[in-house]
Amino acid sequence: MSYRAAQPESPQTGNPQTGSSQIPDRRVVVTGFGVVSPLGDSPRELHGRLCAGACALAPIELFDVQDLPVTLGAEIPGFSARDYLGEGNLRPLDRTARLAASATERALADAGLSTEDRHRLSVGLILGTVFGSVGTISAFDRRGLEAGPRYVKPLDFANSVINAAAGQTAIWHGLPGVNSTICSGTSSGLQALAYGADLIRGGRADILVAGGAEELCFESFLGYQRTGRIAGSRNAAPPCAVPFGAGRNGFLLGEGAAFLVLEAEESARDRGVAIRAVLAGSSSGFDPSRGHDGDSAAASLKRCISMALHQAGRESSALGAVSCSANGSPTGDLYEAQGLAQALGDAAGTVPITASKGLLGESLGAGGALQAIILLESLRRGQLPGIGGSESPEAGLPLGRLEPTPRDVIAAVGLATSSSFDGHSCAIVFDGEGGTNE
Amino acid sequence: MQEPIVITGIGLVTPLGKGRELFWSRLLAGDSGISPVSSFDTSAYSVHLGGEVKDFRAREHVKNLEPESLGRASQMAIAAAYEALEDSGVDLGEIPRERSGVIMGTTSGEPQEVERFDDRYVAGDLRSVGREFMDRYPCHVIPAHMAAELGLAGFNLMIPAACAAGSYAVGQACEVLGSGRADVMLAGGADSFSRITYSGFARLGAIAQEKCQPFDRGRRGMIPGEGAAVLVLETRRRARQRGAHVYAEVAGYGLTCDAHHMTAAHPQGDGAARAMEQALDHSGIHAQEVGYISAHGTGTPTNDRLETLAACRVFGARAGGKPISSIKSMLGHTMGAASAIETAVCALVIEEGKIPPTINFEDPDPECDLDCVPNEARDQRVDVAMNNAYAFGGNNASLVLRRPAS
Amino acid sequence: MSTKEIRTKIKEIISQVTGIPPGDISDGASYREDLDLDSLSLLEIGVDVDYEFKLGLPEEDLQTLETIQETVDLVLRHQASAIPV
Repeated sequence: MSYRAAQPESPQTGNPQTGSSQIPDRRVVVTGFGVVSPLGDSPRELHGRLCAGACALAPIELFDVQDLPVTLGAEIPGFSARDYLGEGNLRPLDRTARLAASATERALADAGLSTEDRHRLSVGLILGTVFGSVGTISAFDRRGLEAGPRYVKPLDFANSVINAAAGQTAIWHGLPGVNSTICSGTSSGLQALAYGADLIRGGRADILVAGGAEELCFESFLGYQRTGRIAGSRNAAPPCAVPFGAGRNGFLLGEGAAFLVLEAEESARDRGVAIRAVLAGSSSGFDPSRGHDGDSAAASLKRCISMALHQAGRESSALGAVSCSANGSPTGDLYEAQGLAQALGDAAGTVPITASKGLLGESLGAGGALQAIILLESLRRGQLPGIGGSESPEAGLPLGRLEPTPRDVIAAVGLATSSSFDGHSCAIVFDGEGGTNE
Repeated sequence: MQEPIVITGIGLVTPLGKGRELFWSRLLAGDSGISPVSSFDTSAYSVHLGGEVKDFRAREHVKNLEPESLGRASQMAIAAAYEALEDSGVDLGEIPRERSGVIMGTTSGEPQEVERFDDRYVAGDLRSVGREFMDRYPCHVIPAHMAAELGLAGFNLMIPAACAAGSYAVGQACEVLGSGRADVMLAGGADSFSRITYSGFARLGAIAQEKCQPFDRGRRGMIPGEGAAVLVLETRRRARQRGAHVYAEVAGYGLTCDAHHMTAAHPQGDGAARAMEQALDHSGIHAQEVGYISAHGTGTPTNDRLETLAACRVFGARAGGKPISSIKSMLGHTMGAASAIETAVCALVIEEGKIPPTINFEDPDPECDLDCVPNEARDQRVDVAMNNAYAFGGNNASLVLRRPAS
Repeated sequence: MSTKEIRTKIKEIISQVTGIPPGDISDGASYREDLDLDSLSLLEIGVDVDYEFKLGLPEEDLQTLETIQETVDLVLRHQASAIPV
């Protein structure tokens, strides 16, 4: 099913920019998707399994969880970069880079960008992440501690920089354009999309692969348990990471990589490729209280959403679906609900909202990009996954549509929001109606 | 960048001292900030020098957050931010808090936090790892700490583009301001001295035993350092309205990727040259107009040779005879702070009409045939300055600053 | 350790760095020309060989290695000199 018949000859509806924004009106469109996730490696599979309520959380097998109280996470079972990347020496790529390069391969193929195109069109890469690979960084350092500094691994040192995955992916695929790594906590993935859109709007780039990547590794798995943010890590209570769930007690970590190909509209038309959606508006902000003051946190997200809608030239009533970052955090989910409600007004009671981290895990830097892909696939298919898990939503949350099962999507404008526990927030409005059918 | 963006404040924490005035006077004097590494034991290494920031006491700078709850890079970045704000005369109380933000760059973020974790791991003492690991370590907490300390609710971002990161941060801050989404942006870079970085460069044989000698025939390598630099950026219109002192205007920038090798630059310096060309093009400035180039100039045999090739491709033989100096000869390589500090230097060169030298220059290298401003600072009016920075991952950045229109 | 064992171990190390199966690496292969290794990978092999055989080699020795045979010879020489008298 698609939400719109093919009308490639129809003129685009005017300039979506309004108000005080001085951004010139180069429209940013989406022409490809690539995803490697615990619930599938295509938008279709991921969306289908989420709609079916599949849950990726299981005991960790990637590494020894030692005596940590929580052992659950969302791994990509049997992930092998070879399946995506074919021949070539994979040793220089650590797990984060392999995830990133694999999802990028899918995105480039989906957007019809050949090896020659990538060079000729100076395709760039924007990668959101929290750590790059703290697994690699820590292993590099420990080798020096245990064996002596002369025995540290040179190839691991190359990956000890936080931009390693972006660099390795650009090298693997031959992407000579702007190459940036974006870190803003769990909003990194959305922020990378917003940053990429800015570069295209401003004429700094024509085609960018933008999204995020994060690996599961022992270091972050232990580290976040010690913060008490992990579901079930505070006391003996069983983990409950259901977004907005009444009994939620934290998040559980996941991993993955997800990228969109963002492109200037004229570039996409020149190439004759299908425009899948328009990235119509984006905004970022920060809560200086970093979640200590709920009003400040909610206000920060509200402002982001309002500005993103404003840039898109849309009212909240136009929204057909929301894909948000709620992950089971007792306070974080509450503030995100409040921020959404304040920004959406009456629509907060009627627009269906999904949050997939209860099924996919909190994949940190990849999470926002996964949210975007889930949202766009939902707009395309007219169905938004439910918020999985049997847990019913916390009573009194100011959002009306937090059902556990899939909902119909009746309008092709979608909102993705992210509210990170270290204070960063980001909102992006996608307009499916500007796209052409495949 | 529709609306011209200007630099109105500079804050610095460097191996040559804290504060713009001390830093600048020592830089012009050709002083060295290099000394034996004190932050960890280097007895098992074959090299021992570093560019550490001395006598930095977080309590003197961090006012609202608990200083001890922050990693060292965050502490230094906050100190630089306060200095830059004071220098600019910006009154944050007069700006809606969502109209001011922070974009920073880094190579390793807060590496000392993961090193502490590693020490405990190796000692079999993971039980003593507490919440501070994840509260302090991820690199996005650096701009978050700055914004929390200062009460800034606008755009907040870390761009860890390694040793070119400060330039990426300044470039993006210009985009945010130019598109009308903020009134004031803090942008810069920060990195703390790191055992990980030191071990890696030592293993690559990239660290000089005795001194950092960019462009010298006998150059033996770089010297890792640390520091922070923060610039206050705002639109020219706003700066004029409030009668602010303007150091320089950010005319434009270029960002490219070698897509060649993680640690080795392109053999012809292709990405570096493209970044310079892009920056000139974006600025609408002709190569001839550039009066000073702040080199990446790490002092490794390869970097300086390839950087020379790239500069000559863009500016002609001997880089058009332009002065091109490397302050890394004095500071060492302050990693994620480096290109932010060097952006500040370009602004100061334009403001002061003085060019800092490349010290330790003894023997010209035919493969680095440049005017590297050897050993002595030079009085020279400069209207346009270019800052070049190159990084692991093949990330290249060139920024162009120019004298503000009067 | 015999020459054959040393060579087998070195090929395993090279395989880990390059992704080339040990069986596809010829005894006479040169690192740069036959295996197309860059200096970073070459250094990685040097570090691993040094670590595996506990050679404690001077920096220069690691950086001048060009072929597998030279690496085997280096390990053999080191073993000979390490025999207690």
